[in-house]
Amino acid sequence: MSTAPMSTHYSDGPTAGGITTPSVSLRGLTKVFGGTAVVDHLDLDIASGEFFSLLGPSGCGKTTTLRMIAGFSDPTSGAILVGGEDVTSTPPHRRDVNTVFQSYALFEHLDVRGNVGFGLRRKGLDKRTRDQRVSRMLELVELGDKGRERPARLSGGQRQRVALARALINEPKVLLLDEPLAALDLKLRRAMQAELKAIQREVGITFLFVTHDQDEALSMSDRVAIMNAGVIEQCGTPEDVYERPTSVFAAGFIGTSNLMSGTWSQGCVTIPPSVAIPAPAHRGSAEGDAVSVAVRPEKIWLSELTPEMFRLPGTIVATSYHGATTQYTVSIAPGLTLTVLEQNLPRMRAEDRWSPGDRVEMGWLPEHTVVLT
Amino acid sequence: MALRAARLERKPALAVAVTVLFFAWLYLPILAVALFSFNDKKSLSAFSGFSLRWYDDLFHNSGLIRSLVASIEIATVSTVGSLVLGTMLALGLERVRSRRGRVIGAVTLLPLVTPEIVTGVAALLLFTGVGLKLSMTTVILAEVTFSIAYVTVIVRGRLAGVSTEVEEAARDLGCTPFQALRLVTLPTLVPALVGAGLLVFALVFDDFVLAFFTTGVDPQPLPVRVYSSIRFGVSPAINAIGTLMLLGSALLIVAALALPRLLSRETSSLDLITGGQK
Repeated sequence: MSTAPMSTHYSDGPTAGGITTPSVSLRGLTKVFGGTAVVDHLDLDIASGEFFSLLGPSGCGKTTTLRMIAGFSDPTSGAILVGGEDVTSTPPHRRDVNTVFQSYALFEHLDVRGNVGFGLRRKGLDKRTRDQRVSRMLELVELGDKGRERPARLSGGQRQRVALARALINEPKVLLLDEPLAALDLKLRRAMQAELKAIQREVGITFLFVTHDQDEALSMSDRVAIMNAGVIEQCGTPEDVYERPTSVFAAGFIGTSNLMSGTWSQGCVTIPPSVAIPAPAHRGSAEGDAVSVAVRPEKIWLSELTPEMFRLPGTIVATSYHGATTQYTVSIAPGLTLTVLEQNLPRMRAEDRWSPGDRVEMGWLPEHTVVLT
Repeated sequence: MALRAARLERKPALAVAVTVLFFAWLYLPILAVALFSFNDKKSLSAFSGFSLRWYDDLFHNSGLIRSLVASIEIATVSTVGSLVLGTMLALGLERVRSRRGRVIGAVTLLPLVTPEIVTGVAALLLFTGVGLKLSMTTVILAEVTFSIAYVTVIVRGRLAGVSTEVEEAARDLGCTPFQALRLVTLPTLVPALVGAGLLVFALVFDDFVLAFFTTGVDPQPLPVRVYSSIRFGVSPAINAIGTLMLLGSALLIVAALALPRLLSRETSSLDLITGGQK
């Protein structure tokens, strides 16, 4: 997993109450629309300099949360603190927060320099300082030669950079990014992900990034919060939320998981009709409790099994070739199949791959069995 | 394939003929007016020689000149007035969405479809009813009422294409709501405002019906003046004033096309009127 060597406050978990004040703190933040809580008692601390992602499906409340932090939407109850200061009822123009909008929302009547310098101008900085800082910011986002262009003449990626520069130049306590890459094509999006991360390290400003793209969230963030139906399902490092999901939703939303529901009995998850998967490390369930078990497809081996692995026989029912990987559907009992993802390693040839009908023995390490209650 | 292409390339003679006839029907009378404004005789049927005497006549006809100035004044004040009110209405209707707002929005469009003569009579009855003396002011009041709808329609069209995120971005970057309006929303609307302004100016400047019902005796708006002077026999000075107005309109259209391009805006205001936007 990537770490953030240059960021000042890399953290593995919530760092509230540490040496530094969190950039953003949400206290019981709630927004009710037409009787439904779109955001439901959200508590969250985002450390200074952190790249934090709110990840969730559309309608989960992530954008509403962002809009409340920016000040465009008033919370029904709860409090928002930016840099330790309560801004819950501060209007947007007086909050030390800037936003990169999904539509970029560039000012079409101003050129690129006019757009980027807009915030500094509102702050009343003199022209010389403004010019210097705008030039430096345009260098940072590699638009040094586009200063006099109108936004309408720029490509999607360039417009995105202008939007970023326009917000960043104000050096806010926290930068809010509302799915800023959603409108870009896949290749450009990948490139911008890396660049955004690099820029964040360079400027050291806290980024709060809202996205529904798990890949984006995992690859860029120091921490990710998975949101669903107005609440945070799980919050942790990308590795945490991927490897150790704590809820059925989290396991299903990030990556793919083999999710099976059964009951807890004698240290095993018993899945009808006939499968029992041991989970010796699991605590907190009583005999007969309904539980689910999740196993990532790429954690399951079909060959070279080791003694410590849990083993399960099965029959290949379908295969699909994906270039770098091959995906198998393996039947382990009537009506019960597992998905297995196998790397197509250099030493493997076409005839080494399994075919439908083959009997196989699967295996995975005990720590890859995730029990969800 | 080749046969089909050849058929497409051959110009359809009938379509060409109809097009030529159409433009001739449209523009020959206007050309005639322009031509005869330079005639050195009073005749409107035989062109006997080039002269500027009717223009000279016009500039010495103080009544006509007063009417021309009055019409320019009426059109200018009405344009400014309806731009201010129409833009405010458009902003309200577009940004504060509610059911009541939609009803108001529909009602605003009524002047566009109401026969102008009805509006004219109604305005006349209103003004005399409340005891307003008919004058240039009453003409302006009537024209502004009538023109707000055009401004609102055009400005709303443009506003609908501007994301509310743009205003939020302005507020995010330190603008109060009013500063966001002044520094971001209004400048974004400039092409629409220029377009609406030119349209209203052109409509009001030569509007006859409303002006006829609501004008006082002196000065009369130009269209009313021209109409009444024709009843006493047509003077070629009318041709001269027509030609000048034509020239003025042409200049306005060129300005509408050129100004936005000169300011390197993407959308020309004329595109907004004609619907020929990118």
